[in-house]
Formats: sequence, structure tokens, C-alpha cells
Amino acid sequence: MRNIEWIAAAELDAVPQDDVIGVEVGGRDIALYSVDGEIYASDNICSHGHARLCDGFLDGHEIECPLHQGKFDVRSGKALCAPLTEDIRCYPVKIEDGRVFLALA
Amino acid sequence: MTTPSTVFPTGVSWETAGTSRIPFKVYTDEEVHKQELERFFYKGHWSYVGLEAEIPEPGDFKRTVVGERSVIMVRDAEGGISVVENVCAHRGMRFCRERHGNRKEFVCPYHQWNYTLKGDLQGVPFRRGVKQDGKVNGGMPADFKVEDHGLTQLKVATRGGVVFASFDHEVEPLEDYIGPTILQYFDRLFNGRKLRILGYNRQRIPGNWKLMQENIKDPYHPGLLHTWFVTFGLWRADNKSELKMDAHGRHAAMISTRGQGGKAAQVTQVPSFKESMQLNDPRFLDIVPEPWWNGPTAVMTTLFPSVILQQQVNSVSTRHIQPDGHGSFDFVWTHFAFEDDDDEMLQRRLRQANLFGPAGFVSADDGEVIEFSQEGFEQKPFHRALAELGGRAVDLHTDHMVTETLIRGMYGYWRRVMEEGGGPRGSTPQAGGAEVSQ
Repeated sequence: MRNIEWIAAAELDAVPQDDVIGVEVGGRDIALYSVDGEIYASDNICSHGHARLCDGFLDGHEIECPLHQGKFDVRSGKALCAPLTEDIRCYPVKIEDGRVFLALA
Repeated sequence: MTTPSTVFPTGVSWETAGTSRIPFKVYTDEEVHKQELERFFYKGHWSYVGLEAEIPEPGDFKRTVVGERSVIMVRDAEGGISVVENVCAHRGMRFCRERHGNRKEFVCPYHQWNYTLKGDLQGVPFRRGVKQDGKVNGGMPADFKVEDHGLTQLKVATRGGVVFASFDHEVEPLEDYIGPTILQYFDRLFNGRKLRILGYNRQRIPGNWKLMQENIKDPYHPGLLHTWFVTFGLWRADNKSELKMDAHGRHAAMISTRGQGGKAAQVTQVPSFKESMQLNDPRFLDIVPEPWWNGPTAVMTTLFPSVILQQQVNSVSTRHIQPDGHGSFDFVWTHFAFEDDDDEMLQRRLRQANLFGPAGFVSADDGEVIEFSQEGFEQKPFHRALAELGGRAVDLHTDHMVTETLIRGMYGYWRRVMEEGGGPRGSTPQAGGAEVSQ
């Protein structure tokens, strides 16, 4: 069995409470969310209008895209409403030594 | 004899109470034209927008017009048909440029306002502003509601695979609008069979749009103007003919039958009028009678104001009249076939379509005479045209082709709507304009 490769994405305290930031991890544009003390990660580019979700608005577990107000669940990447037709990808997260690690593979 | 006081009169002045003398001003005046758009295309009337077969799949759309307003006919995700105005609710841009296509949604490219296929606004970029250095800048006011800013949605009606739309949501039902007399000819052609699109012709004709309606309400020009018809025996003075119009005089059908009851021998064995002239390719006249004709070999139906429905032997098409100012219109032909046609019939319909369209052996003549008519009107705007063949009254039913009654009928309706100020509703043939007899 292959070991999961964890890649450092950000310092934990760089992710503001109940908000979203964009980071580049392993050449990918990633959005990191902090909701009720939990960290979630997804692709940062909306599956609809090619906008950055980190420029959007986080309401609970829902990230609203700044362009066309499509919403995703940050826990699953699931598209929640029109105009979205495609989900986005989420990534496993672990926190170690005050840092956020992601498994991108 | 009229004694005109000026070459360029103001307003439209009819010489008589009837409509047998039609002032050139109805074709040349820009104000009249705008009033026509208001009253005939944007209020109280249905306009043709297309055929269901043009947009079979969800997301399929066709850009077209109602009057001079660009609209999009689209099949939505649920399979219904919507018609929305092609003007963005934000800054008014005519956002859709493609004639046909398939979309999941409509997006205006200017600021990416984003609409469902039914025209509901769903997303507005930066509606909640842009985050910068921990604060949010700009965005729409808190009371902005997407529900208030959709595309204009038209009322839609379909019958037999034909799609009509109206900006007027109070317009009468399509069947009432067409009326029972003309509806039977509509249903004869569009009797529920699925349609198959063969292709399009488009042409811009530099003449007033009404001239095309008149052209197909004028049954006596084909044997005179269209020498091709005569030369090759498709038009004969002894054709059995009928003219019918709806109770308002606005729609009409020209019904003609070659020979006795459309027997194959007499329809197909067409002797050339000029024996010395033969078609190099006789397949243009390879006519096969079809059961659904129920007799008539040609029925030309004019639905006021926007469309002509053509059955000329085996060639069937819609011809959409799209005004562009008082002196010009686009004429868009949609040639179709029926789903149950075999290949031979399909080829036959395609070949016979060579008679029609902008370069058609027959129809090319019509575009040209309409252009030359407009030229005459523009240089002599104080004058009027004469439509007195067959008398000066409007006969709702005529059993011959030697009359201009359908033109008089249309202008009877035109005068009632244009002169009485109240719009089309409640207009009856008796309420002014030409005298009507049945």
C-alpha cells in the first residue's frame, strides 16, 4: 500500500476563522476554508465561470462564488445550486505542528 | 384623378373610405412604420419565431426576431420552449450573436450576467462586492433581487410543431388569433407529423415588409410575372382556385388545384407551354401528389403580420418576414420535410425548393418587383397604388384568382387598427375601412 503524501499548504493561523484564503500547493490553486475550527480544502477555481472561490463568500459550510453566486459545500465539493452543474474536488486535510497539510494525489 | 398639393405630404391620406387605393405613404413613412411595429408586432398579435424541429434538444436555441426586436427561441432543461428577448437586463446589450447553438445558460459577455434558459437571472458578478485587505468593496445594494431583473419573457404558443411568440401576455389564444377558416389550412400542413429541417435561405429585400404579405395575397401576378411557372406549365389560367380570409381580413389562404382532383397523370405530365423549351433537368417538376393535400396542389397561407406558410406541390417551407425599417426587410425561408418522408420524397422536396428562395426560379422575381415597387413609392410619396381588380369591396371568400380582394382585406384590418387608436382588440371587418361582403 502506498503512503499518502502530505504536502504543507499553509500555517494554520494564516486561515482566518470562518473565512477562505487561496494558496498555491504543488502547482495547484487551492482554497482553504476554516469553519467552526475545522479546516477544509478544495480546488479554488469555480467549475462554472472560472472565478476564484477565495474571492467569494463563506456562509457556514457553503462557499458562494463571487461571479454568479453558485454555491458549493466545502466539505464535499458538491454543487448546491444553479448555475452550477459540476462539483469541485476536495482534498483530505491534516493539521500537524500548527500547519495545514493536504493530500493532493 | 388626385391633385396632390405637395410631393411630400405629411400623414397618410386615403382617397376613399375603402382600401382599393393604397397611399404610398403606408410604405414610406418611418412614423407609420414604428406605429405598425407597436400595434402589429408588439401588441395583440402572435409572431412566428420558428419550428420546434429547429431546437430538438434541451439547450438548443435559435436567434430570431419578433418585429425588429431580437429574441431567442430555446428549449429549456425540462423540454419546454421559451422565447426571451435578446437584451441583457443589466446594460441592455444584445448579448446573443450566434444564429443557432446549444447552451446550458445565457451569459452576457460584457459583465457576465448569467440567466437560465427561461430567462431568469441567476448570477451577477461581484454582487456581494470584492474582498480586499480584509474588507469588502462595492457590490450591488442589499435590496437587489435577481427576481426583478430577468430577461423579458414572451408568451409562447405552439401548434403542429410551429412556434409563435408575443410580447403581449394578454394576446388572444393562437387558435382564436388564426381563426377557424385559416386554421384548417394551417392544420392541413402541420398535421402533427414531426418536421425535419432541410435548410434555410435568407435575403434582404429593400422594400416595405407589407409588400411581401401583399405578394402572397395577390393571386393574379404568378401567371404574369413568373414566366417560369407559365413556360413550364405549372401555372395555368384554368387552375381551380379559391381565396379565403379570416373574419378580420388579416390572414388569408390562396388555394389552387391543377387539373381534376389532383390526379397524378394530370399533375405530373405537365406539357410545356412553349413546346420548344424543355427543362434540362425535368426533376424540378417531378411532382408526386400526397394524401394530406386533400386536393389542392398549392396552398399559400399568409399569417399577418409575420409569416407565410408555403405548400407549392411538394415544396414546403415557412417564410419569415423580419422588418428592418420602413424600406427593408429580411426574408428567411425555412425549408422542411416530414419525418416519415422516404429518401426519394426528401430529394424531391429539396429539388423543388430550387423554385423558391432568393435565387429561386420563381421567387427571385418577387424580391425584385418588391424592390422596384418601393423605389416607385419613394419617388412619388403623394400617390397611391390601385387594388381594384375584382371590385372595391372585401370578399371573404372568392372562387377565382382574378381579384385583389385579399390585399383590400388586409388593408381593411390595417386601417381599423392604425386609425382607431385602440389597438387590434375588438376589431371587426365591419368597423370601418373596406366594405365586407361574404
